[in-house]
Amino acid sequence: MSALTLGSVGITFGGLRAVSDVSFEVPAGSIFGLIGPNGAGKTTLFNLVTGVYRPTSGTIRFGDVDLVGKKPAAIAAAGVARTFQNIRLFGQLSVLDNVLVACETTRTTGLGGALGRTRAFADDEGAMRARALELLRVFDLEGVADEQPTSLSYGNQRRLEIARAMMLRPRLLLLDEPAAGMNYGEAEGLKAQIRWLRDEFRLTVVLVEHNMQVVMGVCEELHVLDHGETIAHGTPEAIKRHPKVLAAYLGEEELAPGDLELAAP
Amino acid sequence: MTPGPRVSPAARRLLLAAGVFGPAVLLEVGLDRFVADSSVRQLVMTAAINVMIAASLNVINGMAGQFSIGHAGFVGLGAYAAAIVASHLHLALGGGDPTFAHSLVVVPAAVAAGAAVASLAGVLVGLPSLRLKGDYLAIVTLGFAEMFRLVLTSVPLDAKSGVAGAIAKLGGQIGYSGASGQGVPLYAGPLWVFGAASLIVVATWRIKFSGWGRALRALREDEIAASAVGVDPTRYKVTSFVIAAFGAGVAGALSAIMRDGIGIVQPDQFDFRLSFDAITMVILGGSGSITGAVVGALFVTFTVKLIELAQGLDAVRLFQSEHAWLDLNALRMVLYASVLIALMIRRPEGLFGEREPLFARKPRGAAPAGAA
Repeated sequence: MSALTLGSVGITFGGLRAVSDVSFEVPAGSIFGLIGPNGAGKTTLFNLVTGVYRPTSGTIRFGDVDLVGKKPAAIAAAGVARTFQNIRLFGQLSVLDNVLVACETTRTTGLGGALGRTRAFADDEGAMRARALELLRVFDLEGVADEQPTSLSYGNQRRLEIARAMMLRPRLLLLDEPAAGMNYGEAEGLKAQIRWLRDEFRLTVVLVEHNMQVVMGVCEELHVLDHGETIAHGTPEAIKRHPKVLAAYLGEEELAPGDLELAAP
Repeated sequence: MTPGPRVSPAARRLLLAAGVFGPAVLLEVGLDRFVADSSVRQLVMTAAINVMIAASLNVINGMAGQFSIGHAGFVGLGAYAAAIVASHLHLALGGGDPTFAHSLVVVPAAVAAGAAVASLAGVLVGLPSLRLKGDYLAIVTLGFAEMFRLVLTSVPLDAKSGVAGAIAKLGGQIGYSGASGQGVPLYAGPLWVFGAASLIVVATWRIKFSGWGRALRALREDEIAASAVGVDPTRYKVTSFVIAAFGAGVAGALSAIMRDGIGIVQPDQFDFRLSFDAITMVILGGSGSITGAVVGALFVTFTVKLIELAQGLDAVRLFQSEHAWLDLNALRMVLYASVLIALMIRRPEGLFGEREPLFARKPRGAAPAGAA
């Protein structure tokens, strides 16, 4: 059973083919890595899955649900949550409110309840608050619940984005470079957290990441893109030795070939 | 978590209801008795209507972060719809002087009509707001308000049939003064006007401090992130437009039929100046702050009036008779503008920013402020 299935997905912007003919299946309950050099189309794929872009060709299925043509909010409501490469928090809202925004799809009372301040509304709001605080506790952000997210450290902002995504009660979580800007210790913590999230909430996790320490340490299956095309697919062990992957990364100045090896456990 | 006095929810509700309707009932009984000058009564009621206009505009311009400069259009639609319904009902009820008993029928019907028509327009104006932002949206809203006004003023009054004929019955530039031309019946006493103002303030308060308000603020901050966590921009933006239009419709309806009102509804009452006054009220008080909208509305209403009153002072008159070139009416606007500029320099975010200073929010874990 696959949680997410992409079939020959492609998108062109003007004349540029950003992603072409990408197909893969993400097994339900797995931690799946999407890697590749900068500009490979990884984030574009996330944007296609979450409805920010509409694919020019191909199919995207989340379980039995066809995601192509659905609006981002509807896809979120269906159970797909994500974080962003460039952190997108609500700067003027408190940390707690940032998480609470994500309860709109699961709440049971609407505008009428809010206007009448009914008992159901109070119970609903109370339950959401309790859940949001619980998530903040899980991500070690309880102490800053009333602060503005802009005052948080970079790592805490990334964790807050994950907490906000988890408030949706997703079944599929897309993490876009969650380890960016994290040091070794923080990245180790993140690995444990991702595994814990998957087990605790029975999630499927798809990860876009450059940090090989995280990718090789936590992913069970990898899909490698370069210039919008699939170049390899397999277990981390196989990918590490894949000639095309090594070639793609060799072409990049920032990553030395040894980086892949260094990440070995 | 602050251990406040324990009040049961039922008691809080009762207190809130008393706080909301108590003043309205007291004013209903007392305003006519204790304020002999009908122009002062009119001013106080106008202030309440401006509070409704500012509080409702605050939902779009403050909470949702859109920028509408056509709020007068919604107010005007509400006013005309209410004036038509009220004057026909008045005739159906046998005419005569408006009685309190009749007002129990006429006012709700007229206000409902005004709110419904304005809300419908809110949907129509709200839809383009999905694709437009900032200046472009502002132009659409301004266009809507001016269209409303120009259609009324430019219709040939001798038109007898069709749409033109129907609009011609509204009196064009001269204005609509009831089905019989005897003036719009003035049914809405202080109870209705102040009651509605309180209700609208409480309603916008409850929207602000609920998931809806939170979602609107999130959309204002980052639309992509908000929709990624399930906040549908279409639904929330259009609804915020409709809520604001509804409030403006109620305000317009009550302004048309309020006791001590002028009994005539004219297109020029709802030109862009009213829209700009409404924006001034919201920005002055602080975009997004409900306290700010209320204080801003009162400030604008009374400052304009105070300057007018100052014009009538003997000393000022004497001064003007000595300096005939001095145009006091022009000076009034200069003075008013100076006050606004000074305020905005001192407090660029408005008086209160987005805060509600009299009702500090409780720390996390506690119920949201205003959850009474």
